[in-house]
Amino acid sequence: MNNLFVIVDGTNHGSFSHLTRHRVPGAMPYGAKFRLIDFTLSNCKNSKIFNVAIFPYGNYRSLSDQIGSGSRWDLNRRKDGIFILPPKVVSSTIDNEISFQRMHEHIEYFNRSIQEYALITPANIVMNYDYNDLLEQHINAKVDISAILAENNERLKTYIIKKDKLVEFINHYDQIQFRNLTDVFDFSTSLKKQTIRINVPSFLIDSAKDLFHANMQLLVKSVRDDIFRDDRPIFSKETMSATARYGKDALVKNSIIASGAIIEGEVINSIIGRKAKVEKNAKVVNSVIMNHGLVEENAYIQYSILDKETKVLNGSKVLGSIDKLFVSEKKQIVTSEKSISVLQVSAEVNPFIKTGGLADMVGANAEEYSKLGNKSQVILPLYPQIKTKYKLLLKNISDKTIKFNNKEYKATLYSLNNNNTVYYFIETSQFFDRDRLYGYDDDGFRFAYFALAVIEFLDAIDDYPSIIHLHDWHASLIPLLLKEKNIKIKTLLTIHNIEYQGNFSNDVLKALNLKKTNNVIRPGQLNFLETGIHLADKLSTVSETYKDELSYEFYSGNLVEAINRRTRDFYGILNGIGEDINPKTDLEIKQSYDLINVFKAKEINKLDLQERLNLPKDIDKFLIGMVTRIVEQKGFDIIIPALEEVLKNPEIQFVILGTGDENYLNQIRDLAKRYPNQVSANLEYDATNPNYIYAGADLFLMPSRYEPCGLGQMIALKYGTIPLVRQTGGLNDTVENFDLSSKRGNGFKFYNYDSRDLIFQVEHAFTIFKESSPDWRQLIINAMNSSYTIRESAQQYLELYEKIIQ
Amino acid sequence: MKKIISMILVGGKGTRLGEITNEKAKPAVSFGGKYRLIDFTLSNISNSNIDVCGIITQYEPLELINYIGNGTSWDLDYVDGGIRFLTPYLKKDSILWQKGTGHAVKQFFDFINNYDTEYVLILPGDHIYKMDYMPMLKATEAANSDITIASTNLFEESNRFGVIETDDNNFIIGFEEKPDKPNSNKVSMGIYIFKTKVLEELLFGDDKMYDFGNDIIPYALKANKKILNYDFNGYWRDVGTIESLFRANMDMLNDSNFLELNSSKNLPVFSRSLNLEPHVILNNGLVRASVIADGSQIDGEINHSVIAYKAIVKKGSVIKNCCLLSNVVIEENVKLEKAIVNEQVVLPKNYQSINSDITLITKDNLFEVGEIVE
Repeated sequence: MNNLFVIVDGTNHGSFSHLTRHRVPGAMPYGAKFRLIDFTLSNCKNSKIFNVAIFPYGNYRSLSDQIGSGSRWDLNRRKDGIFILPPKVVSSTIDNEISFQRMHEHIEYFNRSIQEYALITPANIVMNYDYNDLLEQHINAKVDISAILAENNERLKTYIIKKDKLVEFINHYDQIQFRNLTDVFDFSTSLKKQTIRINVPSFLIDSAKDLFHANMQLLVKSVRDDIFRDDRPIFSKETMSATARYGKDALVKNSIIASGAIIEGEVINSIIGRKAKVEKNAKVVNSVIMNHGLVEENAYIQYSILDKETKVLNGSKVLGSIDKLFVSEKKQIVTSEKSISVLQVSAEVNPFIKTGGLADMVGANAEEYSKLGNKSQVILPLYPQIKTKYKLLLKNISDKTIKFNNKEYKATLYSLNNNNTVYYFIETSQFFDRDRLYGYDDDGFRFAYFALAVIEFLDAIDDYPSIIHLHDWHASLIPLLLKEKNIKIKTLLTIHNIEYQGNFSNDVLKALNLKKTNNVIRPGQLNFLETGIHLADKLSTVSETYKDELSYEFYSGNLVEAINRRTRDFYGILNGIGEDINPKTDLEIKQSYDLINVFKAKEINKLDLQERLNLPKDIDKFLIGMVTRIVEQKGFDIIIPALEEVLKNPEIQFVILGTGDENYLNQIRDLAKRYPNQVSANLEYDATNPNYIYAGADLFLMPSRYEPCGLGQMIALKYGTIPLVRQTGGLNDTVENFDLSSKRGNGFKFYNYDSRDLIFQVEHAFTIFKESSPDWRQLIINAMNSSYTIRESAQQYLELYEKIIQ
Repeated sequence: MKKIISMILVGGKGTRLGEITNEKAKPAVSFGGKYRLIDFTLSNISNSNIDVCGIITQYEPLELINYIGNGTSWDLDYVDGGIRFLTPYLKKDSILWQKGTGHAVKQFFDFINNYDTEYVLILPGDHIYKMDYMPMLKATEAANSDITIASTNLFEESNRFGVIETDDNNFIIGFEEKPDKPNSNKVSMGIYIFKTKVLEELLFGDDKMYDFGNDIIPYALKANKKILNYDFNGYWRDVGTIESLFRANMDMLNDSNFLELNSSKNLPVFSRSLNLEPHVILNNGLVRASVIADGSQIDGEINHSVIAYKAIVKKGSVIKNCCLLSNVVIEENVKLEKAIVNEQVVLPKNYQSINSDITLITKDNLFEVGEIVE
């Protein structure tokens, strides 16, 4: 009887972009014919372990499909066997590692297991190893917990611990400060610990890039020999396919080809999945093609991952690079980049008018689309501020009378061309000639009219769009009107923040005088955003994690059902920052810098910051900065109690720039009064560029309650200021926890919206800053090497447009 | 009570396949890289939704039994039926040794009785074809025939088979096993549906009813049983010889959609997974107009050949118009043409065997049919 049972952690999301839209990471295809979970389960079988529990998240159908009864791994036992233990609390969201709370949902399983030791290991790991060897090392070392590391010291998130000890943590999950075993291993002071480094290749696969790398490693003979061994075979689900077939002109070098594949063209350094086909004169280089992929004649692909059933059309060129892989979505049809005609509809667009991040994103993407050779057009209302400033550049192109609410309105369309991007402005004085953009009683009528006017002017604009990209609720009625008028243009609706929905009475609907009845409208009220969610062809939001979060009521509230009905059509695309945000070219900061002089420059800028904000000048102080709106969303309910605790440490300084909710402002003023040498509060509207804070601070604090995307942390990273964030929305997608053993990661993040966890992380960061200067420097380098650019974001939108148009 | 159950006859040694069947029954012979001959029959049974399959074995059944297991790979692992191996056993004072195909079925008639079945489908286990047996059963019921025999038109070698003559209603009026001068191109595929009662009557009526083709069918004709002919028009090969095995493999190479083996829709052909990694083509490898099974490592040149699983072909070697069976190792600079290389054979460096007639290379004959050329 084996004394080990295995917990397979399938809770991890990773960052796989499209690849995890239809599956969880454990079900990811790998090595032409396997799925990642095959490796962990085969290790169990080969180690004669027969008690295995899998904890999956979200859509685990693909995983249960793959596992079935577990008979492939001899896990269909009468006693023990394989257990798939789904989440019970549906409100719990993303986690990077299985938490004790998650395990507690199935505490009966742990109580019932009779084995003395537990091995906890992710579902997304590739290695071939005898777990009994790990157990033996664990027992011989007489420690409480062993962490398993890869050959290169990278963490494999794999631990061995006595079951009793584990159950103790699980039972007290709500009383201890450790969320998971990594926390325990890193921060527990009472346990005896050891690390075990395994001496064979192993790959923890958290991203498309990891997946690519691990596939390419299979082309190295020594790696292949360690992973595919006769004495410990890798078992996988049995499938039906013919013997792989080569055509008479096939040319294949250094590649792995699964059965069922048909190779008629050229394949070099690639992994070709089952029943994939490479046609005549097509060429595949350095790529991974999953099952049923098709590369048609004369197509060329390099550095790509083609998900299942992707089709690359005749003659297309797909040019990924080692830094920027091309990753297709399941069933995607890929053609060479061709010009798309897009019309974006937004209530605000930078540089013309801006109240928030929405304007930046729309404006930056519009310019980027034209640079990438597309026909990029944007339409927005003509506000008086724009008219005053751009009067001379506006070109009148069309006048119309628009019937709305039983009245007739005069509407004028102006255009302005900037670097090949064309901006259109709709002028109707009754609705848009006001001081502010929003906040009027008739906002519902104003933006319903705007939507109607956009439709009326579709024929007047230069280039009839193949897709209309709608932003937030202001543009959300457009899909409804397109359907009403039977205009067949595809639409994408981007939700920048679900809190703003545009909720009005049905009078607004009457004003539009719709003829067709539409069952998506509730009686009595009109929710703009909800209507858009129901009717747009596809939906997106500004980060992958926020997209996932929106499937929980905690984040999407009243719209949770509407969102969940559209899961299939819902995408997350991260915003990026422009090339102009760069400490190397920043003239506003004392000392400009890049990776070469960053350490010296950060000291100079820190002294400058301390001087500007009247704090004692001392480079040894740990300087925490914030640039933010001071509102509940940004986490001030946990920030202020945390600061009370953190500031007891005289080595810590805190600077904040921003304005907002009076209640928080007063509490911050009070702190500044009590800690004059540690706190600098700059709470009035400050027109100066805040970059001196980004350049001078050590740590950038952004523990938002929720954060659809967030730009502050991206700017901080670029400036080598280490972000400390809560694991939510875009913050989760841009910040990776620093790991002391592998030295990977660009910041700090914590999970619970709780000041205790925030304090804990600040103290952790402080300790590294004070006691381990090489690690802190590595953090700065990792941060500055992180890259979240507009170009990348725009390219993803263009890919999505293409998908929608098809 | 079942409508129909199936019985596969594995018996024969297949001596004309020489060393290939040295340690295995003929249905276990490798075909097309990843298949065994038995895969086709088992897949047909599975695709016809027949849930009982008795496999009557005699000669070297071990490898076949291991390969088929409980039949799960063909979805034939049923609780109230599924695969049953029927092997010779000791009965009272004599070992039941089979004297022919009919005799074999007779010995296991208890097995048939067990299922209280209306019809029995008798199948050979070593033919390459895709067929749904249900339309054949429907035709049997519609014509209310006692026996139905599936047949195909053959334009060569028809003297190796049972030749059939039919009347205008497609009933069989003449049947001659392996005639010297066949008077029809219509040959029996050795696939029979019997009414169970009629089968029992025929098998137990006379002591000498040993073989379906030689004894039972001619006798049934004489006894005025209604015997229906059922025409089958698809691809069908009985690979009884080295030449026909080779030719069938080449058929597969030459037809890129051979038996639609890659389609999971139209009567898919299943085979047992051996948990092998996908094959790898190394830097010196060049593969053209060929098929290659899992677990192989190719660093040489493969042209118009079938490579079964776990083959190793090292650099400088050139393999043309060949079949490599499983676990073959080809060392550097080997030249092979028109050969079948038996399982597990290792061909040493600089070995050459260039043939104009198809040649089987085995451990024992390798220096009779080839030589080292420095």
